[in-house]
Amino acid sequence: MKCPRCVQRIHRAAQSCPHCGFALADADAHFGEDEVRLRSLTDAAGLLRRGGRRKVEAAMEEIGRRFPQIFVAVYTGPLGEVANIRQFGFWMLNRAAFEDVPVGKPNEAGVLFTIDPESKAAGVTFGYLLDPYLDESDTFECLSRAHSHWLDGRYADGLVKAVRHLGIILAKRSRQARRDPEKFERKVLPPPQMGDLVRRIRSGHRVPEEQPEVEEVEK
Amino acid sequence: MKALTFLSLAIFSTVHAANLQMPIWKDGERKSFEEAGGILRSFILSDEPEPEPETPLDVEKPKADEVTSDPLRSSEIPEKFLAAYFAEKPAEFLVDPQGLLSPKDYKDRLGFLKYHAGDSSIDFYVYVFGGEQEIPGEVRAEETVERLFTTGRPAVVVFYFLGAPQRSAIHLSPSLTEAVSAADQRRALQSSVMSAFEKLNTTDQLDAFSVQMSIRIYWMERMLGGGVSPDGIPIVSHRPAAKKVAAPSVLEVWKEETVIWMEEWWGGAALLLGSGLLALSFVAWMRSRVRFRFPDLEVEPRLGGAHAAGVGAVISFANAALPPASQKDQVPDYLRRA
Repeated sequence: MKCPRCVQRIHRAAQSCPHCGFALADADAHFGEDEVRLRSLTDAAGLLRRGGRRKVEAAMEEIGRRFPQIFVAVYTGPLGEVANIRQFGFWMLNRAAFEDVPVGKPNEAGVLFTIDPESKAAGVTFGYLLDPYLDESDTFECLSRAHSHWLDGRYADGLVKAVRHLGIILAKRSRQARRDPEKFERKVLPPPQMGDLVRRIRSGHRVPEEQPEVEEVEK
Repeated sequence: MKALTFLSLAIFSTVHAANLQMPIWKDGERKSFEEAGGILRSFILSDEPEPEPETPLDVEKPKADEVTSDPLRSSEIPEKFLAAYFAEKPAEFLVDPQGLLSPKDYKDRLGFLKYHAGDSSIDFYVYVFGGEQEIPGEVRAEETVERLFTTGRPAVVVFYFLGAPQRSAIHLSPSLTEAVSAADQRRALQSSVMSAFEKLNTTDQLDAFSVQMSIRIYWMERMLGGGVSPDGIPIVSHRPAAKKVAAPSVLEVWKEETVIWMEEWWGGAALLLGSGLLALSFVAWMRSRVRFRFPDLEVEPRLGGAHAAGVGAVISFANAALPPASQKDQVPDYLRRA
């Protein structure tokens, strides 16, 4: 888990980045704090032609069909700076209302691909549902598949490749989660409280024994 | 010095050996030795070898007419059989009016020739003669074959001499004579004779000869058909095909074998292929119906985001010289080298 602004590691349940103090409020100040209504495939930059758009939509629908809990969204548009693409993705997935996504699929279940044609950068953001199952390297693999296409300006082909590879990774993670759910549960356990830590240090990291119940003796 | 010594010794030995004589029996010594059970037989010591005891054989000598009537030994074909041999086209593929083959052997050989005829467009006729028999001079073999086999299917006619395969002669029907070169005919005959000589029994020799000639006829047929179709050989033809004899190419042989294989195994192959396609379709259908689900785990919100805080990777495609591999380690911008 990394901060969208400083890309430093942050702990679970951090209300703001402990390194740079970033929070959604900062993104709201930059991009706006109102809800944004848009479709799951929004080509604001006009990168996709009709045929390409259809192919990308088909790939997105395929993910939605195979993974009934999940949806994929794509946004293309100029963002100004490369550094902003992470913050924009983070803000978008929290503030957007995707009109064509079923109500049963909240933004927690979304995977957002963002492409900035000006800075020629692309990023991935995903909701809390996939937080235990996806990591940065998985999303990097997806983007790597699209890299050569995007270099040639074939945005639709690159997106299709990236989305299909995402499907492969998600299927793998789903099977792993079915086999060994505890592995993923451990990733989202709440961080230990300070008091617990102090107690564990004082007890020498030993598990405290249960106090025997004192039986009342009738006098 | 040494050489002189050896020379003198050699001369002495030679003179001494010349003076030596074989021992001779003294009076009564031989008789007493034999009476004492001596192991030496008398013939060893006698000057003349002991004659072998004669045991008269109780077998009658063959009569003169019996010797002459053996067709395998006689040198002339009896006149009464000439018409059966050469008067008209034979009704069967095996011509043996003299009955040189036993009925069983005749039936077996005839069965094989019939099988060949069913499998090939060139018939194979075998005239059987005795090993030492001579075809009369007035019978001109080539003319006879040409006359008898002008019509009908192309045929290879072999005059086979039982027990003497090397005397065999091959003749072709008019439709084949110009199409098959003399060299090819000779090679076919030699090959068949060689196969016959691998057997000892006369019937087995004929058997081996027939099989090899049948194979050779098959190759003649392939050559005539240009390796495409044996049906190209004319059944009735007074003008033999002027096609040049050419060996079938590897590709043509492969094609033909594939066609034969397909004809023989198409049912099984089709079934196998169909089953495979069906299985593949079923697997693809099953895979398309698979739905993946994730356990919905409780995740505490971060950075004030109600729905998402999963910031994944970012990739730049501004420069082809900056491959994805060099962008894998994503560190804060202020930690990057300028």
